[in-house]
Amino acid sequence: MEKYEVTKTLDVRGEVCPVPDVEAKRALKKMKPGEILEVLIDYPLSKERIPANSEKAGHKVLSVEEVGPSEWRILIEVRGKN
Amino acid sequence: MEAIILGLITGLAFGWVLQRGRVCFNSAFRDLYLMKDNFLFKAITLAMAIELIVFPLMAQFGWIRMNPKPFNLLGQIIGGLIFGMGMVLAGGCASGTTYRVGEGNTTSWVAALTYALTATAVKHGGLNWFLKWVSPFTVKITPTTSANLYDKKIGPTLATLFHVNHWIIALIFSGLLLWYVFGTKTSKRPDAKMGWKAIGLWLVPIAAFAFWSSYITGRHYGLGITGGWVSITQAYTQGHLINWEGAEVLGIIIAAFISALISKEFKFRVPKRGIVYLQTAIGGAFLGLGASLAFGCNIGNYFTGIPQLGIGSIVAGICFILGNWFMTWIIYGRS
Repeated sequence: MEKYEVTKTLDVRGEVCPVPDVEAKRALKKMKPGEILEVLIDYPLSKERIPANSEKAGHKVLSVEEVGPSEWRILIEVRGKN
Repeated sequence: MEAIILGLITGLAFGWVLQRGRVCFNSAFRDLYLMKDNFLFKAITLAMAIELIVFPLMAQFGWIRMNPKPFNLLGQIIGGLIFGMGMVLAGGCASGTTYRVGEGNTTSWVAALTYALTATAVKHGGLNWFLKWVSPFTVKITPTTSANLYDKKIGPTLATLFHVNHWIIALIFSGLLLWYVFGTKTSKRPDAKMGWKAIGLWLVPIAAFAFWSSYITGRHYGLGITGGWVSITQAYTQGHLINWEGAEVLGIIIAAFISALISKEFKFRVPKRGIVYLQTAIGGAFLGLGASLAFGCNIGNYFTGIPQLGIGSIVAGICFILGNWFMTWIIYGRS
């Protein structure tokens, strides 16, 4: 099940829009290439927006997985800064 | 009774699209600034571009008469900025907050409550002096240009200001918006449930049905949210019958709830820090005050006022964006 080794976990369940997006963006900025960020969210719009914006920033989205009722786990691998 | 049924039908359709499409102007404006992401902004702009043609067409056929809100420079600038800041604090604009009530966001419940109470207080209660303070600046005119399309007394439009036929300005305005929508690059959002074009196109028939159904039942305006919350508050506290707009807001919440249940997106969302409730409560109060001073929220101004070329709605709409960007910068932008 756990294929990846998560470097940092960000639990932003229950937070208002756009806290999940902003926190994820900030966390990714601080991490080194190759590290993996796990984001736990329950806000549908961020589930769609965080993967799209992380890819745009050059990172790799490893998975978006439903882990509960309206809860998702997003895994993002940090890539080199551009 | 007819008004309530038609308002409810409108709200049910609108709430469905709001929830599926995540139609939140707070997100649309902020994503532009913070994420350089124009996905939702394009959806909204596409809907407006087509409405700019559809509303005068409906008026031409005699189904409605256009009736933009009065122009009030002071109210629309101050109210617009307050409303724009409020949506950031509340975590959603009028439509975003309302549909998220049905999605189970408890922070939005608090925001909706202070939004409804404050708007009612400004329109009919203890905060009415705000409205009285700006009311000397209210401008309403008797249109002489394109008078066949308008009600007898209306807020000025770009057409009445420049004395140019409404159709000419509407076509140019719509063309400019379409040129932006299709001529510039759109941010990708591959996981989105509805694409931006689908969101924009679905909103148009709903806005048209809203205007027609609310017009024939005596409320000469289209989609709106603030007046609906005021109507619900008055129904609850004073026993008034809810009006078209109140029924519409109830429809939005019901449809968003059902849509969220079906797509497994309903959840009682609770923030870890209790202070977030205070933030959204203040945000909701800003929304209520701002929308009342600006003669409408984001839905009333963007989806009903600007497509009628209402000058007041254009001023309010610009100030919504500026207020939103300012508060976004304060809270999220400086690191």
